[in-house]
Amino acid sequence: MITAEQKPIDEIREMIEPYEKILLLGCDSCVAECAAGGEKETAMLASTLRIAAKMEGRDVLIHEKTVDRQCVKDFILPLDDIINQYDAVLSLGCGAGVQAVAEIFSEIPIIPALNTKFIGETRDQGYWVENCIGCGDCMLYYFGGVCPLTRCAKNLLNGPCGGSKDGKCEVDPEVPCAWQLIFERLSAFNALERLEKIYPPKDWSEKQGRGPRKIIREDQQL
Amino acid sequence: MSQTSKENKITLALFYCQNIPESGKQDRQSLEEEYGKSIRLFPIPCSGRLEPLHLLRALEEFADVAYVITCPEGECRYFDGNLRAKKRVQRTREIIESIGLEGERIGIVMNKNSKSLARQAHEIMENITHLRPSPVLSPHRAQQEKGEKRDNC
Repeated sequence: MITAEQKPIDEIREMIEPYEKILLLGCDSCVAECAAGGEKETAMLASTLRIAAKMEGRDVLIHEKTVDRQCVKDFILPLDDIINQYDAVLSLGCGAGVQAVAEIFSEIPIIPALNTKFIGETRDQGYWVENCIGCGDCMLYYFGGVCPLTRCAKNLLNGPCGGSKDGKCEVDPEVPCAWQLIFERLSAFNALERLEKIYPPKDWSEKQGRGPRKIIREDQQL
Repeated sequence: MSQTSKENKITLALFYCQNIPESGKQDRQSLEEEYGKSIRLFPIPCSGRLEPLHLLRALEEFADVAYVITCPEGECRYFDGNLRAKKRVQRTREIIESIGLEGERIGIVMNKNSKSLARQAHEIMENITHLRPSPVLSPHRAQQEKGEKRDNC
């Protein structure tokens, strides 16, 4: 999932300051899972902003609504019925959600309330960790399901750096050495021979350098 | 409703775990009679049910102060409900402080000596008497005060 964190409240307040009718738009997918922009967080931020406005004696209309997925057109289009009531939308979606809403409703300012962080997993309650950089050429098979590009601080593709201690990374002793994990996993599968191959540098043109990436599947289109 | 002897200028939203002593319906009604509009009571099955949003909405809509009473640490029937409540209260305090509202408008009492609901409520009421009415509910007054401060500079 995509992870995100709420922006500092002062930054949000500065961005919405010129507007008097604001729709807070949450997203009930990834950013709900990471407790940043789901229904609950959207209601909390709306309440906080209303309290702040009341303290300043400002008459600001702040409503809240949460859609299932802010990055999918089909879920955004129904907003057409209500969006004209507002001067601006404060989106609690990830960067993709904010831009998707902005593209469909180009006549209204769409303001981001979150900082989008990374693709990751929920490791524990309140604990999210990055484990995929979206390189476009997945090599997890060769590395026993542990991505060295994401989880090794030095992004090494051909073995450990030699600096790990007791299975921990020398850059951050709290973090397990990715190469230690790779070795353990492949050993458990009797698949250490996968490490005998020398992996050439990644072809980063799959990830960046050609503008935004896209996937087109004609069988999925009408 | 006629004004009761203990009705004061500020309103307390009091959330409490239903497992604390003497917190049944009659106890709640007695407190409501005693304090009138100054207290709004919200029984919850466990303090772990409390969300920051409950406290924020209370401050936004009617309360000058919002408190929660939980079971003592280590004695939650559901193991960690009171610990969750403690963290959520702390988080909510940080939120209101970030917009300039006093953190002490939100509080938690972990009912150490198994006091009754009424006794806890009295103690909380005494602790909050020094607070002024909330600038959220009387913004004109808050603005006036701001103006006075500016004039004095």
